[in-house]
Amino acid sequence: MSDTVREIQAGQFEAEVHAATEPVVLDFFSTECPPCEALAPKFEAVAEQFKGRVRFLKIFRQASRDLATQLSVTGSPTLVFFKGGKEFGTRLMGDIKRSELKQAVEAMLAP
Amino acid sequence: MADKYDLVVVGAGPAGLTAAMYAARARLRTLVLDEGMPGGQVKITHKVSNYPGFPEDVKGSDLAALFAKQAERFGARIARAVEITELDLRSHEKRFVLDEEDEILARAVIVATGAKPKPLGVEGENTFRGRGISYCATCDGAYFEGKDIHVIGGGSSAVEESLFLTQFARTVTIVHRSEAFRAEPTASQEALANPKIKVLWKHEPRAFVGDGALQRLRVENLKTRDTVELPTDGVFIFIGMIPRTELLKGIVPLDPWGCVQTDESMQTGVPGLFAAGDIRAKPFRQITTAVADGTIAALAAQKYLRETPA
Repeated sequence: MSDTVREIQAGQFEAEVHAATEPVVLDFFSTECPPCEALAPKFEAVAEQFKGRVRFLKIFRQASRDLATQLSVTGSPTLVFFKGGKEFGTRLMGDIKRSELKQAVEAMLAP
Repeated sequence: MADKYDLVVVGAGPAGLTAAMYAARARLRTLVLDEGMPGGQVKITHKVSNYPGFPEDVKGSDLAALFAKQAERFGARIARAVEITELDLRSHEKRFVLDEEDEILARAVIVATGAKPKPLGVEGENTFRGRGISYCATCDGAYFEGKDIHVIGGGSSAVEESLFLTQFARTVTIVHRSEAFRAEPTASQEALANPKIKVLWKHEPRAFVGDGALQRLRVENLKTRDTVELPTDGVFIFIGMIPRTELLKGIVPLDPWGCVQTDESMQTGVPGLFAAGDIRAKPFRQITTAVADGTIAALAAQKYLRETPA
C-alpha cells in the first residue's frame, strides 16, 4: 500500500473521519472479494491524483463489524464519502470504475 | 507512442482467457483487458462441479486464477482493473485508450465482456444495494453470520448460492415465483433437504423496506394475491444475467435481449471484430460453452489476421 492510502482501525474512525479537515473517502474491504482486489489499484491511482486534498482511507470489514453495522454497510467493497465530518453524496459499491470514483471525489471538492 | 497488438481481447472471463491462450500459443501479440480481476463470473462462484478435468469440485476463484495463469504462461498480457475511456472498433486498425492515458492499437478484437447480474427492478432495490441487498454471495456472505436472510430466484445460481450462504446465515428463505426450482436436480434436492433452507413458492418480491438499512422484504403470494412484509437481515438476488454489451452499442446490431449476433466463427458484421461467451446470442451459457466460444474466436481471428494485410 502506498503512503497515499492508509488503513485505519474502527477505533480511529472518530479522529480520522469525523474530525478530518479535508474530505474523506473510506473503503470497506474484505478478503476473498474479487471486486475489492480490483478496486485497490484504482483507489491508489485516484488517491495519488488527489494527494493532499482528499484523505483516502481503507478499513477491514471483518475487523470492524460494529462500525459497518452502525453505517449500514453490508457489502464489499463499499466506498463512503465524508465532507465536514458528515456523509456526503452517494456510496459506491461492487464493481467500481476509476472514472466513477474520480467523479465522486471531484464532487466533494466542488465549492 | 501507442502499444501495438495483433489481438486485443476485452474481458478476462473463461471465453476471453481461452481466446488469449490460443492466440498467444499461435504467437500472436495478445493483450487482455479487464475492468476488474481475471475470471469473470467464475471468480465469484463459490464452487464449480461441472467443468471437465476437476472430478472434485473446484473453487471458482481457483479455476479463474488457473485460466489466467495458463493464458499468461504462453505470453498473453493481462491488463487488470483498467477502464476503456476511448474506443474505435470500426476502423481497420482498432484503437483503445485505457484510463485516459495509454493508447493501444490492435489488428483484431474479441469482445468477451460476459454478463452481469440482472436487477429485479423492484421499489427500494437501488436504495438498499449494499445496505442489505447483494448480488454476490462469496463477496458478502460473511456479513450475514447468524442472520436470517432471503434469496430471490429459483435457478441454478439461486439454489447453489443459497447452499453456500447456509455456512453463514441462521436461515435462508428462498423466494421463488414458480412451484419448482429450475436448478439441476442434484442441487435442488440438496437445498430442499437442508434444515436451514426454507422456500416460499409462488411468491414474488414487491418492495424493499427499511429505515437507513434494509429491514423488511415485501412479497406477494401469487396464488392469493396477498401481500406481506417479512422481516429480513439481507436479500441476495440471483434472477439471471444481462449481457454487458455497452461497448458494442451502435457498432454491431444487438438482439432484443442485448446479445450480439455472430456467425459460427464468432465473427460480427465488422471485419476483425469477434464476440465470444455470454454476450453472444445463443441458447446455453455455461463455462464450457464460453471456453468453446473463446477457442473458436481465437482460431477465426488467426485466420483473419493471416488473410488480411496489416
